[in-house]
Amino acid sequence: MAERPAKSPIAGHLVYRHNRITRLTHWISGLALIILFMSGLQIFNAHPYLYWGSTSDPDKAFLSIAASQDDGDVRGFVDLYGRKIDTTGFLGVQQGVFGPFARAFPSWLTVPGYYSLAAGRRWHFFFGWLFAISGVVYLIYNLAVGHIRKFLFTLRDAKSVPAMTAYYLHIRKTSPQQGEYNPLQKMAYTGVFVILAPLILLSGMAMSPQLNIAFHWLPALFGGRQSARTVHFILAFGFLFFVLGHVLMVLTQGFLNNMRSMTSGWYNEKVPVVIESTAQASPPEAAAVSSKQEAEKINEAES
Amino acid sequence: MKLNRKLSRRNLLIGGLQAASLVVLSGCEKMFDSLSQNKNVQSLLELAENGSRRAQRLLTRRNKLAKEFEAKDISPKFRANGNPPPITMDYTTDAQNHWTRWRLEVSGLVKQPASFSLADLQAMPSRTQITRHDCVEGWSVIGKWKGVRLEEIINRVQPATDARYVVFRCMDTDSDGVNYFESIDMIDAVHPQTILAYELNDRPLPIDNGAPLRLRVENQLGYKHAKYIRALEFVSSLDKIGQGKGGYWEDQGYEWYAGI
Repeated sequence: MAERPAKSPIAGHLVYRHNRITRLTHWISGLALIILFMSGLQIFNAHPYLYWGSTSDPDKAFLSIAASQDDGDVRGFVDLYGRKIDTTGFLGVQQGVFGPFARAFPSWLTVPGYYSLAAGRRWHFFFGWLFAISGVVYLIYNLAVGHIRKFLFTLRDAKSVPAMTAYYLHIRKTSPQQGEYNPLQKMAYTGVFVILAPLILLSGMAMSPQLNIAFHWLPALFGGRQSARTVHFILAFGFLFFVLGHVLMVLTQGFLNNMRSMTSGWYNEKVPVVIESTAQASPPEAAAVSSKQEAEKINEAES
Repeated sequence: MKLNRKLSRRNLLIGGLQAASLVVLSGCEKMFDSLSQNKNVQSLLELAENGSRRAQRLLTRRNKLAKEFEAKDISPKFRANGNPPPITMDYTTDAQNHWTRWRLEVSGLVKQPASFSLADLQAMPSRTQITRHDCVEGWSVIGKWKGVRLEEIINRVQPATDARYVVFRCMDTDSDGVNYFESIDMIDAVHPQTILAYELNDRPLPIDNGAPLRLRVENQLGYKHAKYIRALEFVSSLDKIGQGKGGYWEDQGYEWYAGI
């Protein structure tokens, strides 16, 4: 049994939203994702080219990040399918103590900051293990206690996606949310757990020569080892966008409340009626509804 | 006036945010840099290497083969990497004389130390395989290799029971004059596709790719595939080899187990 904290003075009611395992694995995988992303860029810097297929014939890279020099002026470029984009100041070239030098992703985005493929790999594989293990622990536990189905995106949720989007864009006044998670949240979380996380792990493992022997289908699944590397790179940015979106939502949708729920487990859920008609809502009624729901939620979370 | 003040306030805010993020970012960078050089942190991170080796070997049936490709898959150019080829007189003249003087010395914890000429190795049963070579940097090339299985040599020299690793002594050096060397354990050494290759794409092994003899160990990354081999040494421990990490790149921080 979790202890019930004193009732918050804010309208709404406290629900025990995140169990211990969820909170723990959330922060572990959050830290791991940051380090995986940054050490991954360090590893990418060793060969800043991307290809499709099994091999990497130099003239067949569809993406490259490089520096080129004309008239003593060193400029950074991203070359995407033959289209050259000048990225001086960010990608391709960096200012150092001894002048500009070629570097795909800048120091401040990589772990470690200095160039070291060896160190980047060590960080990456350690936190890769940590990420995978915490993900598996999270999944097993939450499948067992039935938490996952609360945010599993279903066909019914798909129908209310436009309404929820309209609500976020302030076009629609009422939220179509039912239950603890709204349709867009469900879509994001389900996408991460069902698509992004498994695929980024598989594409990472598809680059391992030993695992290529163990599972010949692994690189084939992605269309070859270099394709797996490319997919891994793209999915890393998928995670970046998810994390940025996630952080943005946390910051804008009640930062302290969200932080409380991911540290202590308790989330202050506002009753829709209260949000919709702030002026007319009669507090006693809302409170009555909330305490009933609250009791149910607590039972559910702790059963 | 008012507009100006507003602008300058906004500039101040933006400037402040920029400065703050710079402090945070450079702080992070410094933190990760010093953690990357901290011995305790590094030995913690190194736990992953053993975990990877154990887990991956557990998942791989012993002697299961790496995918072999078809002739049409062979890369137009087999990229060479690492130290430049040896430039000693002995090496270059011998290269011109089709390696008549070169010998592969096999020593260490073996019952029958031996020495083989290139012709000796070529007279032994050979294996040909078209495999993908993966560099630690991230690129991959496909080439066709012909060579003698390392197990063939092992059967001839008969390692002692306490021989756990094969060390490959090479002729190439870095700019400081340090010789390249590598090591693998007996499990990988007796794998059917672990060969000492003397041919690439149906031609004698080119100098850039490690002539006259190089290792192919298909379950690991390119830096394990020692080039310009001159000797094999069977040892029970890697502690006294180089700086004790088992290889040239390993001494510079790369993992000894390069199956990942």
